[in-house]
Amino acid sequence: MNLLYEKYAAEIKHILAKYPADQKRSAVMPLLYLAQQEQGYIQKQDLQMIAEILDISATDVGSIVGFYTLYHDHPGGKHRLQVCNDLPCALRGADEFLEKLCENLGVQVGETTPDGLVTIEAVMCLAGCDRAPLFQVQDAEGIRYYENQTVETALQLVEHWRSDGATPAPSPLGLRAGQEKSSTPLPDETVTGLSAEVRDETASDTAATETQETD
Amino acid sequence: MAQLISLMIDDKPVKVPEGTLIVNAAKKVGIDIPVFCYHPKMEPVGMCRMCLVEIGRPQIDRETRKPVLDEQGNPVIQFGPKLETACTTPVSEGMVVMGMSDKVKKGRQDILEFLLTSHPLDCPICDKGGECPLQNLTMEHGPGVSRFLYDEKMHLAKHYPLGDLILLDRERCIQCGRCVRFQDEIVGEPVIGFEQRGRSLQIETFSDPGFDSYYSGNTTDICPVGALTTTDFRFGARPWELKPVASVCSQCPVGCNITYNIRREARAGGRYVIKRVLPRQHEEVNEIWICDKARFAGYQYAESPERLTRPMLRRNGELVESSWDEALQVVAERFKAATGGLVTYAGGRLSNEDLFNLKQLTEGLKGQAILKSSIGGGVLVAQMGVAKGTDLGKLGAGDAILVIASDLQEEAPIWWLRVKQAADRGATLIVVNPRQTRLDRFATHTLRYDYGSETATVLAMINALESKKTRLPDWLAKYRPNRFQTAAAKAFAGAKNGIILFGQEGMDLPRSQELALACANLLFLTDHLGSPNNGLIGVWESANTQGAWDMGFRPSTELKEMFSSARAVYVVAADPAGDDPSLADALEQSEFVVVQELFLTSTARLADVVLPVTAQPEREGTYTTGERRVQRFFPAIPAPGGVIPDYEIAARIGERSGLKMENRAASLVFAQLAARVSDYEGLSYRSLAETHEQWPIIGRDDLYYGGTAYENTQGLGVQLMPSSQKRKIFQVNWQEPPVRVSGKGLLGVPITRLYDRGATVTPSRSLASRVPGPFILVNETTAQKLDMHNDAPVQLMLAGSAYSAMLRVDTAVPESVVLVPRSLGIPLSELQPVDIRVAETTPA
Ligand code: SF4
Ligand code: SF4
Ligand code: FES
Ligand code: FES
Repeated sequence: MNLLYEKYAAEIKHILAKYPADQKRSAVMPLLYLAQQEQGYIQKQDLQMIAEILDISATDVGSIVGFYTLYHDHPGGKHRLQVCNDLPCALRGADEFLEKLCENLGVQVGETTPDGLVTIEAVMCLAGCDRAPLFQVQDAEGIRYYENQTVETALQLVEHWRSDGATPAPSPLGLRAGQEKSSTPLPDETVTGLSAEVRDETASDTAATETQETD
Repeated sequence: MAQLISLMIDDKPVKVPEGTLIVNAAKKVGIDIPVFCYHPKMEPVGMCRMCLVEIGRPQIDRETRKPVLDEQGNPVIQFGPKLETACTTPVSEGMVVMGMSDKVKKGRQDILEFLLTSHPLDCPICDKGGECPLQNLTMEHGPGVSRFLYDEKMHLAKHYPLGDLILLDRERCIQCGRCVRFQDEIVGEPVIGFEQRGRSLQIETFSDPGFDSYYSGNTTDICPVGALTTTDFRFGARPWELKPVASVCSQCPVGCNITYNIRREARAGGRYVIKRVLPRQHEEVNEIWICDKARFAGYQYAESPERLTRPMLRRNGELVESSWDEALQVVAERFKAATGGLVTYAGGRLSNEDLFNLKQLTEGLKGQAILKSSIGGGVLVAQMGVAKGTDLGKLGAGDAILVIASDLQEEAPIWWLRVKQAADRGATLIVVNPRQTRLDRFATHTLRYDYGSETATVLAMINALESKKTRLPDWLAKYRPNRFQTAAAKAFAGAKNGIILFGQEGMDLPRSQELALACANLLFLTDHLGSPNNGLIGVWESANTQGAWDMGFRPSTELKEMFSSARAVYVVAADPAGDDPSLADALEQSEFVVVQELFLTSTARLADVVLPVTAQPEREGTYTTGERRVQRFFPAIPAPGGVIPDYEIAARIGERSGLKMENRAASLVFAQLAARVSDYEGLSYRSLAETHEQWPIIGRDDLYYGGTAYENTQGLGVQLMPSSQKRKIFQVNWQEPPVRVSGKGLLGVPITRLYDRGATVTPSRSLASRVPGPFILVNETTAQKLDMHNDAPVQLMLAGSAYSAMLRVDTAVPESVVLVPRSLGIPLSELQPVDIRVAETTPA
């Protein structure tokens, strides 16, 4: 009766195989990510199905959805543009950036543009504090990061989506070119099945809690 | 014994075992360190920072590894630059703790200022106001003013239903996590959790149905603010208006100690009414927990308008009200005339005093005292029950607990909790059941058997043991153990202490007697008898079934014959006609039926005389728990005019029949009982009222520490010694279970559910939504074979009659088995073939 399992049996087996059988609850993150691929957000029945697969309570699964900005519990636009406005980023003007961006798009934080194209969200530390203002984009093609942004570059990106729907590679817009090693992982391929990228992502989320406590 | 550590807390010298947390060390010498997230029953998490103290440790010389001494020869104490949490820091030798310094006071002020940043401070309308740790600690340690902007307070849901019984006020929650940890750590049912984070952190449930746990009410006791409230008590009263009355829960054989909170109310004409039920500490029985049945169904029945308040006599075929004099006279005359033909049928809801007097009366009239119980083995429990000094809370690594034929969480929720925690502490838990139950998850060994072969399973386990203390009968050889049974048997035999709890899943009286005997023999052969934490526990169906056995009542397999041939039947606190229609027929045939009851039950409807009684919260008495602990309860509320306690009715009937019986007070009946019932020798109401200090210390001014559970000041009761502890040699009896042939087709199996339609449960307002209508359980395959789906209305065909029920699909049910909950309207009391049909659609 587990629709999620039926639909993604191979993927789920592949994910579960990465964890010791007595610690399969650890697979909750990739399974949530997998479930999110369907509709762009996680529905209540997904929690139940994941709970069943991992033999934990639906509440345990649900707590994780709320904790990480990686997951969404309600539908959003085609692209989710998630701006970090945690303390270090705020010091580099993230709040102002976010405010202006919203103003230009005619939405409030958390809202979606009327054409359903973009949802603007404020999120916790994305582990790129020194390259703020920055945001991550989540959409059907996975996760990408855009660092050292200005309102103009961000708007250009939105315009680009609006005109042809395709996503340009992040590099021409973000000023990443020339920078060497970054603590922020850049997915080099489209992320569908969840793998290392997402777990790295959670690592940066954990960092966020620490930042959180100090504010 | 752990090593003792010496330290100073606020200039007081303290000596505590190694590993003790500072907060607890302080508590032991009467120093209160304020806490919110710490709770003595749970692992420390250090989340709230309320317990900050200054900690100094002796400076150690790096070279010599010895403490550095000052000129006076005293060790030099080095204080850390920051405050530390007393709830997460264990004591260490020579430590100096300062809990009153200016720095600490400032720390507390700051933490409280933070906690109150967005707190609604609606104390005047908050259920917790008056017993609120946050309120109290703010008064004591708070800054008095806040630097945070009032206008920026968050506004959140004030009445968020987490489940049917518990509501959450999100503005009041301080995110201490006690509720979440209780459900996760203690109960093992993490159905509430944190969601979001930072300032958006909230308590939430994603389970379906939401916060649905038999232990949910306890979270409202330990929540340090008014964030969690029960549908039962919210906005019901202010804590300072309430008076506490000690009692014992009357719902199951665990015997949890409880407190009724009462106050006078206009709606009751100025009389006292019960406003809520809270746990009363008894570390050897229920610690500081109770289940939701105790909290929400334990008393509301007493207030039911359906209560009987006048005696009734049958005149011209109708029950009409009469005076007590007349009713008692009629009963006494008929009983006397029945010479030898009196059958007294009593339920385990009665107190020891009631049962003692009923037994005296019945014996005096040469009648038979019959116990309503489908579980046998009470005499065995008196001989081989758990020994005096038993405490499930002490069992852990090296010990073993075997639970057989019992869905323990449904039958005795607090035992379930304590057994589960014993397993958490490392005890070997052996769960032997025909289907999966909630205990299996914590079991070391899970054995399955087919319905009907519970005794065979135990006999096979006995067979698996090598060291044979006594010659085993030859027929035993045919019970060959499989490897799982062998492993479990060896684990049980090898344990330091061993306890067996046996229940009544799918059993009638004869089967249950066989099982009890087999369990007793297993205990005997493994030497788990006669010393504390060893022995047999019956998971009885009522609070005082054990007491009834002890008072000399015995169940009977020939009830029908007995009733139909009796010259007089005296039914007390039981409803045989409601349980089983064939017993109703039998009662119709008997010459004279007297029913002594709270409500007009099916049996009362066909009685010749109906006598109304006092409810448990309205009177005093004692119960004997399944662990054979005799405990007192006290009158909390006045009884409605016209009702009399059971023991008194029995005595008055006795007097009118020429017997000398005690009717004046329960305490005097108990004195007689203690003089005549040998195991109860030497007990008195006074000895049952004795207490000693328990750990953790709770229920005093420091409600923030343990929660709102009450300290036990009214008595811990006395645990009886089974004969095995009195060094009486126990003779093993062997009885070969008869071979029974089971039919083909569907097998109906009676099971027990916590929320049933028992007389004292149905009137509960709070539980109304939780008590289901009649339902039956089958697994998917069976449902498919029947071509039926979950939640289908069906008819259960049983012994020629049809009963409407809902069909529910449950994967834990074995194939071709139909589980039929007892006391929900379908009279199945033994394994019996059944049939399921599509419900005839009722014309609209
Ligand atoms: S939780 Fe305590 S402090 Fe908060 S409103 Fe209620 S009584 Fe007052
Ligand atoms: S509801 Fe109460 S117990 Fe639970 S986290 Fe909030 S304050 Fe703590
Ligand atoms: S605070 Fe924004 S990326 Fe770290
Ligand atoms: S941090 Fe010690 S009580 Fe909360």
